[in-house]
Amino acid sequence: MRGATQTKWLVAATAIALAATACSTSSKSSDDKAASGGGTIAVQLGEPQKGLVPQNTAESEGNQVLFALFAGLVDYDRKTNAPRLQVAESIETQDSKLWTIKLKDGYTFHNGEKVTAQSFVDAWNWGANQDNAAEGMPFFDKIEGSEELAPGKDKKPTAKELKGLKVVDDKTFTVSLKAPFSQFKTMLGYSAFYPLPKAFFNDPKAFGENPIGDGPFQMDGAWEHNKQIKIKRYDNYGGTKAHLQGVTFKIYDNLDTAYNDLRADNIQATNKLPISAMSSVASEFGDRYINKPESGVGYIGFPIAYNPAYQKPEIRKAISMAIDREQITKTIFAGTRVPASDFISPLINGYRKDACGDACKYDPAKAKDLFTQAGGLPNNTLELGYNADGGHKEWIEAVGNQLKKNLGIEVTFKPFEKFGKILDSLQKKEYQGAFRMAWQMDYPSIENYLRPIFSKVAIDSGSNYGGYVNDQFETLLSQADSAKTEDEGIKLYQQADDVLIKDMPYIPVYSYQASAAYTKKIKNFDTDAQSRYNLAEVELAG
Amino acid sequence: MGRYVIRRLIQAIPVLLGATLLIYALVHYLPGDPVQALAGEKRADPIVAEMIRQKYHLNDPFLLQYWNYISGVFQGNLGESLTGRSVSDMIGDAFPYTVNLAVVAFVIEAVVGIAAGVMAALRKGKFLDQLVLISTLLVISVPVFVTGFILQLVLGVQLKNSYGIDFFSVSFNEDDGLRAYLLPAFVLASLSLAYVARLTRTSLMETMRADYVRTAVAKGLKRRRVIGRHALRNALIPIVTFLGADLGGLMGGAVITEKIFNIHGIGGLLAQAVYQKQGTIIVGVVTLLVMIYLVTTLIVDMLYAVLDPRIRYE
Repeated sequence: MRGATQTKWLVAATAIALAATACSTSSKSSDDKAASGGGTIAVQLGEPQKGLVPQNTAESEGNQVLFALFAGLVDYDRKTNAPRLQVAESIETQDSKLWTIKLKDGYTFHNGEKVTAQSFVDAWNWGANQDNAAEGMPFFDKIEGSEELAPGKDKKPTAKELKGLKVVDDKTFTVSLKAPFSQFKTMLGYSAFYPLPKAFFNDPKAFGENPIGDGPFQMDGAWEHNKQIKIKRYDNYGGTKAHLQGVTFKIYDNLDTAYNDLRADNIQATNKLPISAMSSVASEFGDRYINKPESGVGYIGFPIAYNPAYQKPEIRKAISMAIDREQITKTIFAGTRVPASDFISPLINGYRKDACGDACKYDPAKAKDLFTQAGGLPNNTLELGYNADGGHKEWIEAVGNQLKKNLGIEVTFKPFEKFGKILDSLQKKEYQGAFRMAWQMDYPSIENYLRPIFSKVAIDSGSNYGGYVNDQFETLLSQADSAKTEDEGIKLYQQADDVLIKDMPYIPVYSYQASAAYTKKIKNFDTDAQSRYNLAEVELAG
Repeated sequence: MGRYVIRRLIQAIPVLLGATLLIYALVHYLPGDPVQALAGEKRADPIVAEMIRQKYHLNDPFLLQYWNYISGVFQGNLGESLTGRSVSDMIGDAFPYTVNLAVVAFVIEAVVGIAAGVMAALRKGKFLDQLVLISTLLVISVPVFVTGFILQLVLGVQLKNSYGIDFFSVSFNEDDGLRAYLLPAFVLASLSLAYVARLTRTSLMETMRADYVRTAVAKGLKRRRVIGRHALRNALIPIVTFLGADLGGLMGGAVITEKIFNIHGIGGLLAQAVYQKQGTIIVGVVTLLVMIYLVTTLIVDMLYAVLDPRIRYE
């Protein structure tokens, strides 16, 4: 039995090795269930791109944390997305150009410093200064004097402060815009307009790792990169206090793993579900699965400015009518998208269902007629470009096949490795084909779906990649900007939207749906229009 | 021996320089704009983008950029990422996880792999041998991410939800200490483990037929001594070569495993940096990996002398 002793020896060695590793671990559980007060939870997050400075954070992950740490002048009603006053006591204007903002009492930063008019003015001046290269800089260009702080390439700023900002007293400041803008109040909930404490200006970099806000939660230790960001309730918060004692943003870069952690109740909520979960999440989470409209709209765009083949609106309209949106959203996106019938997202004040009318209704026969009458496309071919990194291949190919069948044309596909490459190519006026495009709002205003994508100024400094220009559209936009009230403004923006619907510079294909899920451990969970967690309102269940 | 080691280390310098230059050039000439990549699906504001380019000297000619970078490296400064974090900090944060994971995987691979191989070789054609052959074939033919996800789902989710056993967590949890590494390390090691087992089996069977083993048996030595001292020691040479090269491979190849189990190590850092075209991070990580390769191959070469005294270094 010599062989047996050999085996025994090896088995013993393996067992010892495994036992040694097992012994050195403690059996303590990862989530701190027993915390006093409102308890603590963990939620899914992706690693924020850079330091958590509100003026310099444009991406969604960092924004989510800032949303818990900061309170702005306004926030948004989660149902209607209308702005409601938060730190501001009042925001008033006579002519939509000069705005007077008064602050409420009682708001303090997490280090005890009072939130004053100066806290806002300093923060905005910092954000508007091009030397700081803050991502939020474009948001200040409506304010008087912004060109002195951001004069452009190879030039030095000639001022340190925005001319248009004036501190009246501790609780009041005025904002003077270059031109009237009726939607200004709606913009003010965006993170670039959050206030900053004095401590920020001493060391912006350290601040970014351990931000001090004025919101319902404060940092609980510095940001642990790629691992977690812990926040705890700020008990001197000026607004409605949070229920939970603390929240851990657990950082994932793989949504499948995050979803499995959610299923095992290791985290309690996620606002991003992996594609693989789509078929099972509704049955597994029931009414704890949220699927509701999100701010994004997906389009098919055309390089109108330099490709004459697409210049006729009838051609674009015919293509639009030949797309079966219903089929694409149902079969390819499994209901995570809904057919678009307007250029505006359904959750925005001013959205009109079926505004697009016949142009967005699937009607292959009519489409074919219109297409032939308008003279068709050169060589009877159409190219569809998409970025191969974002899961767009399937739906673009489906659209291509529908066009092939319904218009009797040849469709070719052009994958770009990244979205940025499509943009580069359009910028250089190289790419001749149609392309996929999407827009996600910065602030919940109908204006944000029009000017940044379809206006003349957006050709150079915005996202008007098609190079669409229409004078009537421009006039309506500026009329809407100078409207005395918000509602009056919205009516005029809708007229501008009608111009787009007539011209179809882009074809709206679908609106995005936000999906989130949470475990039985919490209640009152929801996400806002930007898919951010409403952490201040979440409570432990039972 | 000492002179041999010094010579090998000096040889490493041009290798490192060449590798960094090559990687730096590859990243530089990749299509796409790193500043736009940061902005994601939106267009980067032209002024902001230009300010970032100026700050990081992205407009300079390639050789000047490389010179600035490499002279910084020699002063111990690995540079800054485009998001303003120090690259040495980023590597310093990520590296320990990858090292721990690789070491645990290496131990599993070496211990279990060699043990299985020895057992199979000594019971050629028997049940245990068949078991090792079939199970390793299975492991080799299933992709790592499939093994990873299945184990994660079964051990992490279902075991906890159905039986309340919370031993293996779904994602990596630092507080769990070594236990947290077991499952990911096993997944990471599984493929190499199968190779090690098969290699050991073949190599040992080969040596068992050698003359000196027959002599040892004829002398009446105990079987354990024949196998352990005479056969296995010689059979180990190809296995040590494989294991040595594999240690470097484990560190670089942990991308998938790290991603499945949410371990934020070198693999994820590298993948993200490539995607964002962040040259300084890529070069920093790759330089480190090249260094690890150089050191492990050196150690492997020196181990030969321990295993086989006939091998000498000059």
